[in-house]
Amino acid sequence: MMNLDEYRTFFLVATLGLSVIAVFPTLGLVMPQGGSERFSEFWLLGSNHRTGEYPFNVMTGDVYDFSIGVGNHMGRSEYYMVNVKLRNITQSLPDVGDAISSSLPSLFEYKFFIADAEILDIPVNIGFKDLVVEGNVLVVGDIVIDGVNIPVDVSTSLDSESNGFYFELFFELWRYDVMSDNFRFDDRFVGLWLNMTG
Amino acid sequence: MFFQSKFLAFSVFVFFLISSPFLSVSALSEDLVNLSLIEAEAVLTSAYEAVLKAEQAGANVSVLLDKLNLGGDYLAEAHVWYRIGAFENASDFAGLCYDAVADVRGESLELQVEATRVRDSVFNRTVIGSTVGVVISVVLCFVAWRVFRHRYYRRVLGLRPEVSYDES
Repeated sequence: MMNLDEYRTFFLVATLGLSVIAVFPTLGLVMPQGGSERFSEFWLLGSNHRTGEYPFNVMTGDVYDFSIGVGNHMGRSEYYMVNVKLRNITQSLPDVGDAISSSLPSLFEYKFFIADAEILDIPVNIGFKDLVVEGNVLVVGDIVIDGVNIPVDVSTSLDSESNGFYFELFFELWRYDVMSDNFRFDDRFVGLWLNMTG
Repeated sequence: MFFQSKFLAFSVFVFFLISSPFLSVSALSEDLVNLSLIEAEAVLTSAYEAVLKAEQAGANVSVLLDKLNLGGDYLAEAHVWYRIGAFENASDFAGLCYDAVADVRGESLELQVEATRVRDSVFNRTVIGSTVGVVISVVLCFVAWRVFRHRYYRRVLGLRPEVSYDES
């Protein structure tokens, strides 16, 4: 059988325990929430939102559908921009890891806002016009993105090994930085190699 | 021949005379469109920052994000038109962007004030609830302790052996 001092300790501990339970809701409001890793997702899907149905052999006048997707896991609503660029094999890609975007000019852009833990799917349709082959060089005259005709000045030489004219259409993800009051390359890009057949 | 060359020179002169104001207007409009794009971007980012503050205060900003997205669509399209030299379209879309998000800042502020009021109210009620909970816990335990101690003494005293005197 316990003596009175031991019973007193038991009552003190019980009082403390009940008090902590009573204070718990307030602590939940005051204590900072432990956050998970913050990042953005960026992906490219072919037509019908499937992988494996990406356009590859493209011709003048045809329209190709695919979609780009962005997921926000930054813990708050974010303001994103996607820049669309076209390059040949010798031109620069973004430097992932150092967050340096490609130096090529943006041909088209998308700007959108995504709430935390949400994703956005952007349907894109692209076509090409005025693909001119001059000897071993193919020059792209215009790219048509979502119905807007945009003149470009990109050319590529014939790849003799695989007998094609290859360009990469790529999409850079940029995110608005409130501190610097500017967009910053978010170190993510997706690309699509295209063989233009004129 | 002389008249033909004179006429040609006169035509070229008249062409430049007529086209020069248009050229300068075109250059001017490019600058103006650029300014309107900068202004639309500033309004959009300012609205976004206001929405962020409302969101941090705990407001539901999904409706405001829809408006921002509409503005973003217009602004992106304005930039595309500007890049390809279609300044009139660019200006129109910059204007649409401006109109789409013009009210967002004010609405965000209202939501932020309301969310802050609700948050403060919830916080105050929680603190009061916790305080009352602690006081009730202490008082209940103290009363229980007193009752227990009283019964404990009675039981212990009840178990105490009685001294009996043998009168013989």
